[in-house]
Amino acid sequence: MIVVLWSIRRVLAALVTLAGVSVLIFASVRLMPGDYTDLVLGPLATEAQRALAVAASGLDLPIPEQYLRWIGGVLTGDLGYSFVSNVSVTEEFAARLPVTATIAALTVVVTLLVGIPLGFVSALRAEGSAGAVGRFVSALGISVPEFLLAGLLVFAVSTLGLGISVGQYSSFAEDPGRFFGSLVLPIVVLSVGCVAVVARNTRDAVLNVLVEPHVQASVARGETPMFIIRHHVLRNAAVPILTIVGALVAVLLGGTVIVEFVFNVPGMGSYLQTALGRRDYNIIQNAVLLAAAVFIVTALVVDLVSNAIDPRLRLTGGSRR
Amino acid sequence: MTITPTTTQRLVTARDRTFGAWRRVDGLARLATIVLGALVLLTVVAVLTGVFGSTSATIGGRFAPPSPLAPLGTDNLGRSFLPRLFEGIATTLVVSIVAVLCSAAISTLIGMIAGYYGGAVSELVMRIVDVLYAFPALVLAILVSALLGPGRPAAIVSIVAITIPLMTRVVRVATRTVAERDFVVSARISGVRTPVIFARRLLPNIAGTVVVQASYALSVAILVEGGLSFLGFGVQVPEASLGLLIQQGMLAMTFAPHLLIVPGAVLVVAILCINLIGDSLRDRLEPRETRSLT
Repeated sequence: MIVVLWSIRRVLAALVTLAGVSVLIFASVRLMPGDYTDLVLGPLATEAQRALAVAASGLDLPIPEQYLRWIGGVLTGDLGYSFVSNVSVTEEFAARLPVTATIAALTVVVTLLVGIPLGFVSALRAEGSAGAVGRFVSALGISVPEFLLAGLLVFAVSTLGLGISVGQYSSFAEDPGRFFGSLVLPIVVLSVGCVAVVARNTRDAVLNVLVEPHVQASVARGETPMFIIRHHVLRNAAVPILTIVGALVAVLLGGTVIVEFVFNVPGMGSYLQTALGRRDYNIIQNAVLLAAAVFIVTALVVDLVSNAIDPRLRLTGGSRR
Repeated sequence: MTITPTTTQRLVTARDRTFGAWRRVDGLARLATIVLGALVLLTVVAVLTGVFGSTSATIGGRFAPPSPLAPLGTDNLGRSFLPRLFEGIATTLVVSIVAVLCSAAISTLIGMIAGYYGGAVSELVMRIVDVLYAFPALVLAILVSALLGPGRPAAIVSIVAITIPLMTRVVRVATRTVAERDFVVSARISGVRTPVIFARRLLPNIAGTVVVQASYALSVAILVEGGLSFLGFGVQVPEASLGLLIQQGMLAMTFAPHLLIVPGAVLVVAILCINLIGDSLRDRLEPRETRSLT
């Protein structure tokens, strides 16, 4: 019963946050200086032409009505049209979202396969020099910015060859091999930072469990290290690890702006970046709302799952609160 | 013949090992402090005295390799790159430090209020902070810079907006654990005024947490400033920042790779040093159990 009430409260809080995000996006887009009519019609357009363009895009309506129309459209799946190219935003999303989602999903797979084992090893070897090396390498991993790593990789690949393509993007339907080939470098760039973050947090989570008395007790009972890890450490360390991985999934969908820009991948990030430069309201609003919604929903799911894994959280009201 | 009990021996070696590792890690942090301090000192001297040359005078051909006149070669306009590099470091550091100080002050205050009062106040603060938290960092930065126009103020405001949510969360949790303790409760009962409780009872006990979070926020700030400038939404030419220099270096990397590699290396070293110092601060100031993992 308490769990159900807690879950309902958590869902309601997420909805409130989402509503707040939508208002903030809507307001900030409208407060932006610059005007898309300048871009579409050029600086020499007459007032009458401008007024016509504004009326055609519904920007002459009262602000609250514009907001309600937008939210209504989002709820019914109609995201409107790009002011500049007049292409349906829904169609563009359908084409671009899978690209970004592929990058994000493969990055998460790489991160889980490398980061978590790395974190475990560096926690279990925390005392030796291997632990110190691990700490240094993972600190280095989070210190290299994506844009720099991406730039250096472009440099390395373009001068040394290596048989990996840069910027030769091709859609999955046309040429699957080339599609994945063009995503290798973006995924590598994103993975470096993510692996380092997950490894650091896994190490901390495992060390936190290792100092607990019940682990000492099982060492004293003479249980084997593998047994202790399986039965005493894994489940206790799972919640913080899950939290950080969830945060990563959520951030990745909105965090591909730089790699898509550098490697010229037609995903959501590059779409949003171009739209921001053009003040293309419909695209900006919907893309940012989608990224924020993914973040909020992921955080919600992580909370609910953590609660199922670790019943102690129910007493204190959840891990993220 | 003496028989040394094996258990004792094992305990001693284990302890030695622990202390050995601790000393090594601390040495790393010490080294990081020295490197970072030297970088800051050098930058301050370079910017104040202009000892490495002018940041605007043309002294040679474009993209010239290093020479006695221009120790790091020249950039796309034939200016000596070394003074430009220091100008860039100075901008990046000033923007990041100012932003983190603002962010730390704001989030300490609202985090303490939320943690101390709890209930509806806490709920309200956390919902507002959650809204900011839900934006992807760089997208939020680009939005802010589109609103304010690209430049230093936009970079500072976006760093503040990005770092506030996490810091506020952590401060709130830390405050909540302190606020429940007896010395705070007794101060409240004996009628100590609330601002005094905040300043004398709560703040000293969460200061360590704030310092640790601020050090991590500083590395995030440098990353955000770099990314923003890199995408063209941050500091604009003819000013310089590390991100801007890297972006310009990328345009010239096939024939003048040093213009990309040098500012890139400085950026990585600076962030790495800050992270290592942050790790070491955390080990000292925060006991393992109270650490936040998110």
